[in-house]
This record gives sequence, C-alpha cells and structure tokens, in this order.
Amino acid sequence: MGGQPLFLEPRLESRLRSLLNVPGLLHTLTEALGSPLNVVLPDQLADNLQQFRSVYGSHHLSGQVYFAHKANRSSALLRRLAATDAGVDVASLGELQHALGAGFTPGRITATGPKNPEFLWLAARTSVTVSLDTRGELEQLATLVRKHALPRTRILLRLSGFEASGVRVLSRRSRFGTDVGELEPLLEAVERHGDVADLVGVAYHLDTTSLTEKATALEGCLRVLEECRSRGLRPRAVDIGGGFGINYLADAGQWNRYTTQLTEAVLGTRPPLTYGGHGYGLRSEAGTLRGTLGLYPAHRPVAGARYLDELLAHPAASLGGRPLAAQLLEHLYDLHTEPGRALLDQCGLTLTRVLEVRDQETGGPLAVRLAAKAGDVALEEHGVLMDPVVLPRDPTGRTAAAGADTGREPVTVHLFGNLCLESDLITRRTVFLPRRPEPGDLLAFANTAGYCMDFHATRAQHQPVARKVAAWQEGDAWRWCLDDQYWPTTPVGGAQ
Amino acid sequence: MRYDSITEAIGNTPLVRIDPAVHGLRHIDLYAKLELLNPFGSVKDRAAWNMARPHLAAAAGEGGQVVELSSGNTAKALAVLAGMHGLTFKSVTNRMRIPEIKDLLLLLGAEIEELPGQSECLDPTVTDDPLTQFHRALSEPGSTFLHTDQYFNPRNTEAHFTGTGPEIVKDLDGRAPDWFIACVGTAGSSTGVARALREHDPAVRVAGLVAAKSDFIPGIRTIDEAHEVGLFDPGTYDTIEAVGADEAIEGMLTLNRRCGILAGPTGGAAYFGAVRQLRPIDEELAERDDEEGAERQSAVFIVCDRVESYLSYVRQRRPDLFGRPRRRNSPADLSDAEVRTAPAIGVADAQKWIATGEPLVVDLRSPYAYAALHIDGSVNIVDELFEELLHGGLPFSRSRPVLLACPVGEKSARHAALLTRMGHPDVRSLTGGVIAWRDAGAPLVRD
Ligand SMILES: Cc1ncc(COP(=O)(O)O)c(C=O)c1O
Repeated sequence: MGGQPLFLEPRLESRLRSLLNVPGLLHTLTEALGSPLNVVLPDQLADNLQQFRSVYGSHHLSGQVYFAHKANRSSALLRRLAATDAGVDVASLGELQHALGAGFTPGRITATGPKNPEFLWLAARTSVTVSLDTRGELEQLATLVRKHALPRTRILLRLSGFEASGVRVLSRRSRFGTDVGELEPLLEAVERHGDVADLVGVAYHLDTTSLTEKATALEGCLRVLEECRSRGLRPRAVDIGGGFGINYLADAGQWNRYTTQLTEAVLGTRPPLTYGGHGYGLRSEAGTLRGTLGLYPAHRPVAGARYLDELLAHPAASLGGRPLAAQLLEHLYDLHTEPGRALLDQCGLTLTRVLEVRDQETGGPLAVRLAAKAGDVALEEHGVLMDPVVLPRDPTGRTAAAGADTGREPVTVHLFGNLCLESDLITRRTVFLPRRPEPGDLLAFANTAGYCMDFHATRAQHQPVARKVAAWQEGDAWRWCLDDQYWPTTPVGGAQ
Repeated sequence: MRYDSITEAIGNTPLVRIDPAVHGLRHIDLYAKLELLNPFGSVKDRAAWNMARPHLAAAAGEGGQVVELSSGNTAKALAVLAGMHGLTFKSVTNRMRIPEIKDLLLLLGAEIEELPGQSECLDPTVTDDPLTQFHRALSEPGSTFLHTDQYFNPRNTEAHFTGTGPEIVKDLDGRAPDWFIACVGTAGSSTGVARALREHDPAVRVAGLVAAKSDFIPGIRTIDEAHEVGLFDPGTYDTIEAVGADEAIEGMLTLNRRCGILAGPTGGAAYFGAVRQLRPIDEELAERDDEEGAERQSAVFIVCDRVESYLSYVRQRRPDLFGRPRRRNSPADLSDAEVRTAPAIGVADAQKWIATGEPLVVDLRSPYAYAALHIDGSVNIVDELFEELLHGGLPFSRSRPVLLACPVGEKSARHAALLTRMGHPDVRSLTGGVIAWRDAGAPLVRD
C-alpha cells in the first residue's frame, strides 16, 4: 500500500471504552450467542437524553425529546427510555405497539411517517399525537375518528418546501410533508375537522446536515404558526424532527488525511484505497475530480445536542434577527425534537468473529472473512467509514502460534462477509488494522446502535441474524441480559 | 485618467513593496499586487469581464440571464456587468457563508440560490442532486443562460495571462520575480500569472496556497476541492501549502494595520503563506551573502479583495478584535445577588396590581412575539432597545410603577434590578414571565 497507515479510529467515550476493555466478556458472549452479536447500552441513552435536555434548559425552552424508534429495534433501549421522561416517535404500527408495550403512555408518543389505516386507528384509539403528512391523511383520520367514535385526536401538520426570503435555499426535495404552498387548503381542512382533530402544532423533518436549511424551515414554521393563530387556532409546538447526527471518529486529522488520499486514489496519483478502486461517488474526468463524495461526514465536531444548540442560536433573519431559540421562547412555543441517530450515540456495538485470514498478492491487503454479512453492520449502507476494534481471542500467547513477528505490524485488509456473494463486503474500504487478526479474534464495530446495527439485517439469506444483549455496569462489573429480558428494574432487581 | 466606461478601469493595478521592517526578510523584496483596487473590488473583475464580454451583447438581445457558481467576488463582478448590459444575474453556490457579501449581491440585483447541505441519511443512488439539476437546466434546448463557467473557462486564466502577469513584469522593470505566491480558488489567477511569468523566465518558482481542510477561508479551496476545478493542474505549482483561517486573519491584520493595505482574508493568507515560504530562503541567502556577497531576490503575492466584506467572518473567529468600552447602566454590571433579590411579583398578584395600581407593563420580547400574543395594555420595548435606553438614564418617571415581562422572568429580573439600582422606587419583574402567565390561564390578547 505504501505510506502511513490510514486509520479511522472510532470515537469511544468512557462507557463504550470500558466495555471494550473487558474482551473476555465479549468473547464469552459471542461464544454463547453466536456471531454477529449486537450489544446495546441502555444507560448511555439516558445520558444522551440529558444532553438534549440541557440544551433545552440553557435556552429556557420547554417541550419533548422524542426518540425516533426507527433507528434501533431494541426493547432494552426503549424500556430504559420509558423509565426517563422522554417521548418516542413511532413510524409504524409495530413500533407503536412496541412503545405502548414498553411503558410509554400516549402523551409521550407521536406517530410520524407514512401510515396505514391500522396504524392510524391505533394511534387515534390510544390518543397519541399524530404528525400528518398530507391533507389526505387528515381526511382519512377524520373519517376514522367519526366512524369509530374515537376521541378527538391531537395532530401536528408536517410541512416541507420552505423558502427563505432574499436568498433562495435550494432544498433537497422531500417525499414527505405538505408543501407550505399548499397551506391554505390544509388549514381550511383543519378548521373543517376541528371537532375531531385538535391542532397542537407544525412539524418538519429535513434530511440534511445543513443548519441554514433547518433554520429556514424553523423560521417558516414560526410564520405558519402565526398564520394559525390569526385564524383563531391555538397551536403551541414546533416539531423539528431529527437529523442531528453523530461524530463517529476520534480524530479530525485522520479523517482529513483519509479523504484527501481517497481523492488522490480516484485521480490515480496514489494506489487505490478501496476494493476494486471504488470511488464512493467520485470519479476522474481528464484529471479533474467529478461527482460528489457519497460518505457520511464521519468526523463532525458539531453533532447531536451541540448541533441542536447551534441551530437554536441561529438568527431568524426574517423575524428581526434574534436567535431561533429566543423566537420560540418569546412566542411561547414548545420545541419538540425527534433525534434517532444522535440519541443512540455510543449506545452499542456489533461483534463479529474472524473466520479466515487469507494472504492475497504479496504486499496486498489480506482477505478477512467475518461471521457476519454486510447488512449486519450496515456501515457501508450509511456511508460511515470507521475502523473496527480488534479483540484478540488469546491476547497473550498469539505470537508463538503465528510465528515470528506477524501480528505486531499494521496490516491492510479487506473485510468480507459470510454470504456466497461477490458483493458481500462489510466495507469496500481497504481497512488498516494495527495488527494482523487471527481466526477466532473478534472485530468490534463500535457505535453502531443508530441505524447500522439492525436496520438492514434480514433473514432472507438463511444466515443467523444478530442476537442482541443489553449490558450495564454495576459498580466495576459489566452485567448483561438478552435484549428482550431487559427492564429498567433489571439492573437493581437482578433478573440474572 | 478619463474613461468612457467603468470596465476600462479593470486591471492595471499597483504593485506595492511591503516594508521590510514588517516582514523581516532581508534579502527578498516582497511586493503585493493590489487586485483589491479593481473597480468592483477584486481580482475577479478581470476574469468576469474577460469571460462575459464576448457574449453580453448577444445575451442581452435574447433577454437572458448570466449564471455562475460563485460564492462572492466573481458573482459581484458579474452582477454589475450583467446589470450594465440589461441582463439579470443568478449565483448558485453552497459556499456563500459571508452575510455581507450575500446582502451586497442582493443589493446589486443578483438572485442567489443556495445548494442544500449533505443528506444526513445517505442515499447512494440519488441522481437529482441540485448541482446536476443546475447543469441539466443550462443545457436544455432554448435556454438563454449565459454560463460563464469560471472553474473550467480558459478565458478566466487568459485574463491573467494577458493582464495581471505582464503588468507584474512591467512594474518590475521587465523582470519576472523569483517567487510568485497566490491562493487557489478557481486557479485562474495563479495559473494565468504563473504562465505569463514563466514565459518570461522559466526559473520563476510558484507557490499555491489552499485552505487547511478543517478551516474555512472564503474564496480559497481546500486541496480536495481544488481537484474539482477544471483549471487546476497541480503541475503549475512548485509547492502547494495549506493556510489556516487564523493565519489568514493574522496576515490580514498585518496588511491592514501596518501596511495600509485593506486586504481581506485571502490577501492575508497570501501574505502569511508568502512570508512562511520565503523565510528559509531568506536565511539561505543570508548565509551565502556572508560567503559570496549580496544577491537579492524578489517575490510577488496577490491581494485578491478588501476587508470590509468580512467583518462578521472575523468577528466570529476573533471577537477580541471588536472589544468595545464598557457602558454605564448595563445589566452586565449587576451581581448575582442583586439579580436574585430583584423585586418580583407572581402572576396572581400581578393581575391584581394591574387592576388597581395601574403599573406601566413593559413587554421585553420581540415585536413579532408581542404582536402574536401579549398582556392587555402592555407596551413593547425589545430588551436590546431597552438596554440602549438605560445607558442614557431612566426612560420613564419615578412616579409611575413598572411591571417588566419577558418569556421566563430572567431578563426582566436583570432589568428590574438595574432600574432599582438606578433609583426607580417601584419596579417589579413578572415571576416566570409570560409563559407562567399563560400557564396560569391569565388572558393574553392580540390587538
Ligand atoms: C420524521 C422523522 N423524525 C426523526 C427521524 C430521525 O432522524 P435521525 O435518526 O437522523 O435523528 C427521521 C429519520 O428518517 C424521520 O423521518
């Protein structure tokens, strides 16, 4: 490969680092429960919630933090959250049932996303707040409520297509939400169905990392709420969705070096950094770089609660320039957020066992085959580039077996999955590891709880889908149980 | 100097020697090419004019629009040139992070479209990213866009090959400098000047400056971004070095304060990068000087534009440069104890007081929030304005009781404490603010 190893070391905060410091436990767990294995850390979720709460607090804002359930299907995480004062955002009938079963009372649940009649019925039946995507959905809800004599339902209107005054911010088109241009007929429908639907506010969820776009949308929501008030409606909340992001990497320098080397590899001025010369969306045309880098910005100094803080500090240009937080507060509005990924920061890891380590061409990357398929650790699917942590099976006696000094030098590897498919690569990146792994070692993919852990895992291939355990600390010791067995009483009560 | 059109004032900018006492180089004469003195304010005037000139008349006949992907200076020049020729101008960019430049462009009649940020949930299959859409719209049959295409248009480089470069040689009495240092944005100025200088003397050494990857310097690209520029060829430069935002601002301050050159951050980056590049060379020359006698070298860097547009950029990074003297009667002077013990009144008592004592109710929130809902009969004085008023003294008579209201009772407590300190006998803060008022079910009106 030449040159320095291009490590992309994961950011490990104290709880996750502490768990990785007990490799014996992690080996025992995978021996008992198989590879791959997902481990979730419910207590971390509660800590992350506190970070969001403290941003609310510093801006004097009230309102709810709704965990976006879609980001992880774990029961342990959901139940731990039910033991806090957070809410949950559910996007399917199954998620709603799961949330109710985990102990979330309806006042702490919002239903978002595309809805089928069953989902809509159960939401209205149990009096959870429904975020409506379209006028059609409102009509559908009103019909259901009338026909089945359900209670008056609290609704939010999810909007999209906000435009800034002065500068037009081109926004990625969203399939979801009603275009603000269609507000008039939507509000007329809200008024018409006032007997069955109670408008509590408006919402948006923009799939973008850009603060300006979100600020534009939030400002747009404030104007819509003013319009609602002038019509005599009594809304009191803005729901700004999720998308606050995670900072995955420990070191900005590693990320900057890696991405620069990747562009040079694409331009052909250094050897490839990926399997088959894949360019992650970049290509070279006559020596000029074209295309866009299709990668998650893995090093993001402003992510999670800090991102929310910056958004709230953003000036609302069309409303006199005071910060958005001040606007929300002064207008007496509650702020709702729906962080998914960001609330799951540092909340889990995926363990995979090394099945085979094969030398390919001399000096070339090693082929490492793992007991897991790409969908089990969907880093690639989400464009997250991050090194796994090697947990040797036998941390002491390895060199004797491997001979000479192998296993002490950094190596480059390609990580293959266990499917009989050319395309089953855990990551297409050529990964640098601090030492040569051996069969039986574990590769731990850290910080996978947000989407990467089980969002893409299926049983279709007759390979085992990862089982999941919840782990927590009691004093100095790590304790665990199966995800399904976890209740917030477990750590103190001792279901073990 | 008498001209028929402002466009004739483009180019022929001065080359000014930087005082050696400032940069400390003893064997190298360092010159600044003052592109900030172009009529629209930057080095981009040359490229914009050279790219647009051949097409303006035709485009004007068709009622077209000039479009460019530009975050600032090129857009500024093109907006003016388009306006002068009866055309409109649109800038499409995701790099325009300088509010003053945005406002100036709007003032000049430009339309600005900002590209959206990266998707948080990655979709590797997207084909309709806005940049692709932009290019697709340009190439639609019958479109009347004049796309100057500054990152790929050879007339950008040519403007500097035929203008900026030869001007430098002329002002150095027919000699090319030993060193040429320039920031890389579109690569047009560095490439064009380098080519002209080398034609004169192939030994000229050229340093390109890019922005450090984790930093943002308006107008300069990072090394990765430079690879996206069609005019950029790494072979043009003998070295490519990165400059950080703080370094650029330091360089800028030196030019501003010690040289009287009101350069912006890119000029500062070029100066900083030049001195950093030349210092070891200067030391070598000093050693050789001791042995073989004096040999002088010369170096030129480009000052792209002016400082005025970047005040908010600098303020964000260096608030220390904007320290203002402390003012009289400021809430910041209050001790925590004073704020804690500020006279206050709860919602129920406040309602009674309003009914009987007729206090002046001052709502400190923004006019937009006030207009939406407020306590009946209150007046609205935004807290920032209120603070301004207090610097001058009490804004109302001591005989009139005052009730201050803000969202949660925090700002009003500070102001109540301050008014008390200033001698007002009967001022109170509404405990819990307008939010507590609402939560208690007390009436709020919009009139
Ligand atoms: C409506 C809504 N809320 C919240 C989220 C969660 O976003 P994230 O996990 O990026 O915080 C999503 C994600 O798709 C969403 O569609």
